[in-house]
Amino acid sequence: MCSDFIVSEPRIIETKLEFPYSRTLGPVMGAFFMALRDGQLLGIRAKDRRVLAPPLEYDPETGESLGTEMVPIGPGGTVEAWTWVDDPTQKHPLDHPFAFALVKPDGADTSMVSAVDAGRVEAVHTGMRVTARYRSEPQGLITDLEAWEPTKS
Amino acid sequence: MAANDRGATDIAIVGFAQSQSVRDAAPSEVQLLVPVVADAITAAGIERSDIGFTCAGSCDYLTGGPFAFVSNLEAAGAWPPISESHVEADGAWAMYEAWMRLQEGDIDVALAFGSGKSSPSNPAEVWAQQLDPYYLAPLGVDPVSLAGIQAQALIDAGKATERDFATVVADSRRNAKSNPNAQLSGDYDVDALLAEPYYRRPLRKHDVPPISDAAVAVIMARGDKARELCERPAWIRGMDHRIEAHQPGLRDITSSASTTLAARKAGYDGGPLDVVELSSTFSPQEIILKNAIGLGAGVNVNPSGGPLAANPIMAVGLIRIVEAASRIIDGTANRALAHATSGPLLQQNLVCLLEGE
Amino acid sequence: MSDQTQTEKENLVMEHLVSLTYRERLTPNLNRFVDELLEGRLVGHKCPSCGRVYLPSKGYCPMCVVATSAEDEVEVPDTGTVTGFTIVTPVAYYGQQETEPFVFASVLLDGADTPLNGQDVTGLPHDQLRTGLRVKAKWKPKDQRSAEGISNRGWGSMGTVVDSFEATGEPDASEELFKDHIF
Repeated sequence: MCSDFIVSEPRIIETKLEFPYSRTLGPVMGAFFMALRDGQLLGIRAKDRRVLAPPLEYDPETGESLGTEMVPIGPGGTVEAWTWVDDPTQKHPLDHPFAFALVKPDGADTSMVSAVDAGRVEAVHTGMRVTARYRSEPQGLITDLEAWEPTKS
Repeated sequence: MAANDRGATDIAIVGFAQSQSVRDAAPSEVQLLVPVVADAITAAGIERSDIGFTCAGSCDYLTGGPFAFVSNLEAAGAWPPISESHVEADGAWAMYEAWMRLQEGDIDVALAFGSGKSSPSNPAEVWAQQLDPYYLAPLGVDPVSLAGIQAQALIDAGKATERDFATVVADSRRNAKSNPNAQLSGDYDVDALLAEPYYRRPLRKHDVPPISDAAVAVIMARGDKARELCERPAWIRGMDHRIEAHQPGLRDITSSASTTLAARKAGYDGGPLDVVELSSTFSPQEIILKNAIGLGAGVNVNPSGGPLAANPIMAVGLIRIVEAASRIIDGTANRALAHATSGPLLQQNLVCLLEGE
Repeated sequence: MSDQTQTEKENLVMEHLVSLTYRERLTPNLNRFVDELLEGRLVGHKCPSCGRVYLPSKGYCPMCVVATSAEDEVEVPDTGTVTGFTIVTPVAYYGQQETEPFVFASVLLDGADTPLNGQDVTGLPHDQLRTGLRVKAKWKPKDQRSAEGISNRGWGSMGTVVDSFEATGEPDASEELFKDHIF
């Protein structure tokens, strides 16, 4: 519908929008992120005794409050599914090729989306054993769990 | 009570319009919508003043402006003041709200539309904003990577192979040859597709949808009004949407329980379907959705090419419904099912069942 | 667990910056507006149905919902009337650049139906600013103009071309002339 406009040149504009959020974490996620700073992963015990990771405030199936029974999990884990990122972007957690994966931490009944730092794609497979690597200078973010690494046998 | 039991049977799609899906559309999103809404009104044979309720679907993050959706309303003609609503979701959910509104029985005609320009942004970054802001968004995980994880899980579960993914892509592009609004079309050889490099292993670039800008609008009418406006209305036999847990690790990502439930609640009983339009954004999702709905081999899935041929986020789901409805209105189909999705890895799913008289 | 640790956990705050970059062509309508603006001319579209003049043009009339085109282009003078204003006292919010109180005025150009929002008005003290005030654009020298402020979001700002609108000293315009075009 705009074919009849006279366009002198395609002016390219770039706009950066930023939204800074400060989020209070509450008793469940607060406990998770505080323990993570100290290099400890936590899950939460559901009514059916399953341990959910990452810990939620409400049961995803029934909507019931899950309480605050936190359970230490990891540092070992198992890759449940994965994809390989050859060309990490600035938003990605690692600056070299890595895998995004669903990792089930030992002691948990569910898996969490995480980065797996395995060096090369041939080193990754479903069912592989991995160990959590924590950030040396924690920032209070999920990336304080910097990545999972292949477990040295 | 199922949605199809509560008087829904007398509401139909009587007119629609969509723009061509393109990368880097020059006009503004509202400019995309203005002729689309006008054409849908013309197609339905109504006046703008006949519309009793309007609902729009769009995403401010995609447009890049808080409250950008307010401008889109200018395409509906909001003066003198009209009765309207907006969903920060695909236009299919806007249509759902308008369909619910029509069931109150005091208005006869409703307009729903969806629009989005994905080109200005990096859709993988914007799309990631729908993720939970504690565990997922700060991780920088993008929707394509999540789809890669889902694809690998599907393979590991023995439910599909990379060849199945490539076959979905070849079918999509071949079907899109007859769709003037599609972006990607043509004849592709499955073996040649499999020879392409990985993008997010096991996905290749062609398993991922294109970046698209487009708008779509539908006019719905009730009972006799629908029969008066359209020779062969596309009757909405049922429409339902269901949602699952947000975290991908808390559900089986190789199936879609919410799609199964939505299809059943929309009234799909497993009978024959002439046309199925699925919001299978990534090729493996077509396999998941077909299994979830219970579609056998030989069903005509995505004759338009589907999202792999054109993926205007926020319009793509409503376009599926329009593609299905158009084939009922033109008499080439009598029973059709359309699907829309929202959230990471098919978290939320909407199913619409359409029939001719 | 001690009460203190419990409180600390519950009060823990996560900082999260969402940063998104958009890169796109200026819409054809705005591109045309900028072409003329850089030459010191103000153009918009006159709706072929209702006659309202939109500046910059949107490519359609939102009242009549009809598309407008190059054939509907009109030029208006760089004189106008202040139809609304506020004096903004900057507070320290994210991205705020101003440090001193500044004028945020709507200026209805003569012959246009859509006021230009967010304009600076100069030539008189803030406490004498009023609606009805007659103003004229104070253009930057031609070699200092740029299109930088124009954006597809809203339409941006023309502050990189027009420094401000300066009071002309004419008698104020009657409210009757602009009461339907305040903001």
